[in-house]
Amino acid sequence: MSEAMTSLWRPRGAWEGAARIGRPGAAAGPAGIRLSLREGFGLATLIAADGKEGGLRTALADRFGPSLPEAGTAVFEGETGLVWSAPGQWLAVAPSPRDLKGLPEALRGVAAVTDQSDSRALVRISGAQARAMLAKGVAVDLHPRAFGPGRVAVTSIAHIGVQFWQRDAGPTYDLTVARSFAGSFWRWLEHAAAEFGYEIEAAEGADQRRLK
Amino acid sequence: MRIRCPFCGERDNGEFSYLGDAAPRRPDGLDASAAAMHDYVYLRDNPAGTLRELWYHAAGCRSWLVVIRDTRTHAIESVEPARDVARARRAATLTGRADHA
Repeated sequence: MSEAMTSLWRPRGAWEGAARIGRPGAAAGPAGIRLSLREGFGLATLIAADGKEGGLRTALADRFGPSLPEAGTAVFEGETGLVWSAPGQWLAVAPSPRDLKGLPEALRGVAAVTDQSDSRALVRISGAQARAMLAKGVAVDLHPRAFGPGRVAVTSIAHIGVQFWQRDAGPTYDLTVARSFAGSFWRWLEHAAAEFGYEIEAAEGADQRRLK
Repeated sequence: MRIRCPFCGERDNGEFSYLGDAAPRRPDGLDASAAAMHDYVYLRDNPAGTLRELWYHAAGCRSWLVVIRDTRTHAIESVEPARDVARARRAATLTGRADHA
């Protein structure tokens, strides 16, 4: 019996049940939006202990690589980085949860570290119309003069809390929502992207079969 | 109406929750009389003009802010983190100055 029970359990992607690999929306011409469904990434919140931001900065530079970005910004080296979330709070982002394993110990006494790898759904939004699409949902100025690579916004889209940061001038954005809101958020996303035509792909590391 | 959050920049007021007048101080614990608690909980002025008030950036950085706003025009004079205001007040209290910041 236990074998039959365990066979029911399998990892489930955050976008599973909502997103499917494909190319929906306006069919004419190339897709204006590319949505890359990310899975398997590492995510943790860092909350600096009162008055310990300096110590946290030093510990991160030694242990992690990128160090604390200013309010409203993010720093990345490849796919590893730190994203500002609130005063004294950041998100540590890494290719895999394993990369963040040593962080609680390394930051003991200077910051509280909480693993969030499975708590958020993450999608990478790129393509010629990525800015135009995102601008339909957020009340934040996304014009390149106001919001460029390395900028972060914590806000809401369709009444759903989101945090997104711009990765390059393409523009490419990484956007997270609470995992339990992934389905509702996806409804907004597919309506917003429809007029431009969009392509949905599984990012590296995601199980392609389960998204088809 | 938009509020310029000191951390997030200018945002629509829909991202914020309103608490109200920033002036009332909670009467001190066990010494508080029923009358003082009643005043603290219920009594508010309703000025037509400048008011110093508390807003919470709920859909953004989750910071409490002290906003000085004209209730007639919604013109906002200043926005600062409530944490900074509270710290300044605590520091003033510790150094023995009577500061009602």
